[in-house]
Amino acid sequence: MGGKIIARRVVFYVGIIAAWQIVFSLHLAPQTVIPSPSDVGQALAKGVYDGSLLYGIGTSLLRLSAGLVIAIAAGIALGIFIARFETMNQIIGPFLLGLQSIPSVAWVPLAFLWFGRTDGGIIFVTVIGALFAVAINTHSAIRAVPPTLVAAGRNMGANGIQLIKDVIIPASFPQMIAGFKQGWSYAWRGVISAEVIFSVLGLGSLLNSGTKNNQIAEVISVLIIIMIIGVLVDGLVFKRLERTVLSRWGPVK
Amino acid sequence: MTKLQARNIVKHFDHNGTPILALDGVNLDVEEGDFVCLVGPSGCGKSTFLNIIAGLEKPDSGEILLNGKLIDTPGPDRTMVFQEGALFPWLKVVDNVEFGLKIAGIPKEERRQISKRYLDMMQLEKFSESYTYQLSTGMKQRVAIARALAMDPEILLMDEPFAALDSQTRDLLFVELQLIWERTKKTIIFVTHNIAESVVLGSKVAIFKHRPSRIKKEIVIDYRRPRLAEDENLLKYQHAIIQELKNEVIEQKKSGD
Ligand SMILES: Nc1ncnc2c1ncn2[C@@H]1O[C@H](COP(=O)(O)OP(=O)(O)OP(=O)(O)O)[C@@H](O)[C@H]1O
Ligand SMILES: [Mg+2]
Repeated sequence: MGGKIIARRVVFYVGIIAAWQIVFSLHLAPQTVIPSPSDVGQALAKGVYDGSLLYGIGTSLLRLSAGLVIAIAAGIALGIFIARFETMNQIIGPFLLGLQSIPSVAWVPLAFLWFGRTDGGIIFVTVIGALFAVAINTHSAIRAVPPTLVAAGRNMGANGIQLIKDVIIPASFPQMIAGFKQGWSYAWRGVISAEVIFSVLGLGSLLNSGTKNNQIAEVISVLIIIMIIGVLVDGLVFKRLERTVLSRWGPVK
Repeated sequence: MTKLQARNIVKHFDHNGTPILALDGVNLDVEEGDFVCLVGPSGCGKSTFLNIIAGLEKPDSGEILLNGKLIDTPGPDRTMVFQEGALFPWLKVVDNVEFGLKIAGIPKEERRQISKRYLDMMQLEKFSESYTYQLSTGMKQRVAIARALAMDPEILLMDEPFAALDSQTRDLLFVELQLIWERTKKTIIFVTHNIAESVVLGSKVAIFKHRPSRIKKEIVIDYRRPRLAEDENLLKYQHAIIQELKNEVIEQKKSGD
């Protein structure tokens, strides 16, 4: 990334904070509703200092990772299954689409009833939020694999599991990434929503306690952290993954 | 010795309920060490026939015998060079060449030796660590040939492997392929649209005809090698093939096609 872009981004963020400060200083909104940037900064510092924020981040990320790993593994398996058996796809395809359209947060009540206020409940919401997006994307990625690549694999003796592992999955991987990305964003929403409602540790529950104590600065500081994590995961995980794929497949696919 | 026999191969495809007869009783005998070129009009079933030999498609009826034994599944004893190369973009050139060897469970060191031999033969040693998008079309085609040869197949199947190449590259590969054929003594079945190509490469040219889709005639090309594309002595063979194909068109017109 060019230094120029970074410089522009810094200017952008500084601009936002400046505008925010102006809104605050000129009393354009009640100060009880919009805290000053420095209040939020202090809330962030306090959260880091007393460990609550870091602990929250750790907890949420742990739940996210557990849920996402399960969702991706199961989603790929399900996607391969319906790609392999067209009848299966015809039968359950629309059902999966329906399930995918359910927002993660809508699963929370069921998770509560099934698992209680436990890590298991939150991970369930994460998994179920991401699973179907991964499965559906995996299915269409596999459908888009050129038949000659599969024929070439079979021609050289690959079949069954080997054909799936050494030809079909790598051939569809670039397209599957889109599913992982979608899955991750649903999973992240799922973790936070479940934490807000369950209120057992994690960033979501910090949001909740901040609200209860009327600590607006704290609430905003947690929102900022959630956003930063989103940007980092995208940059460190998915951009990197896409770059690796690009370096092999070449710029045009 | 007869390497491969195709007996009465029939295959139809379904086009939205209408059956299309792609092969209607194809017979072919290929001797060990033969270089058979299959020519014929577009859509007459050449690729389908090759896919059936490769075991990638199943015929409705008829059988394929390899060394006298019935075959009906794909196998590394019949490797194919696909028209578009069909290389794996997620693998380096060397790993593409070693793919089938790896599937066969051959240990890494032995794989390296084999892939090196064929990459050297194809003059690709410098590109073994490249990814396929970094190669030109002709280089890709050579990787595909190296990959097919690395399996040390009984029969090499080639489906218009040079169709996408410019004529200079193609002429070079004509010579290379003839040398490889002489060096490895492989049996080759080579599908092409191009009649000139078929007489340069083939020890035998099998002419496919349409409706019914069958092999109509086989012409032996007994001429010294390596043959060059511009060799005028090959013209008489070309004319014989063109004449056969013309008759075919005339017959079709007569039968009201
Ligand atoms: N997968 C398929 N599904 C349906 N029909 C097919 C399929 N493959 C081939 N056909 C039909 O079978 C016939 C023979 O096709 P094939 O590809 O074997 O011809 P070809 O001789 O290789 O032609 P070309 O020289 O143009 O490559 C055609 O009528 C084609 O429409
Ligand atoms: Mg064809």
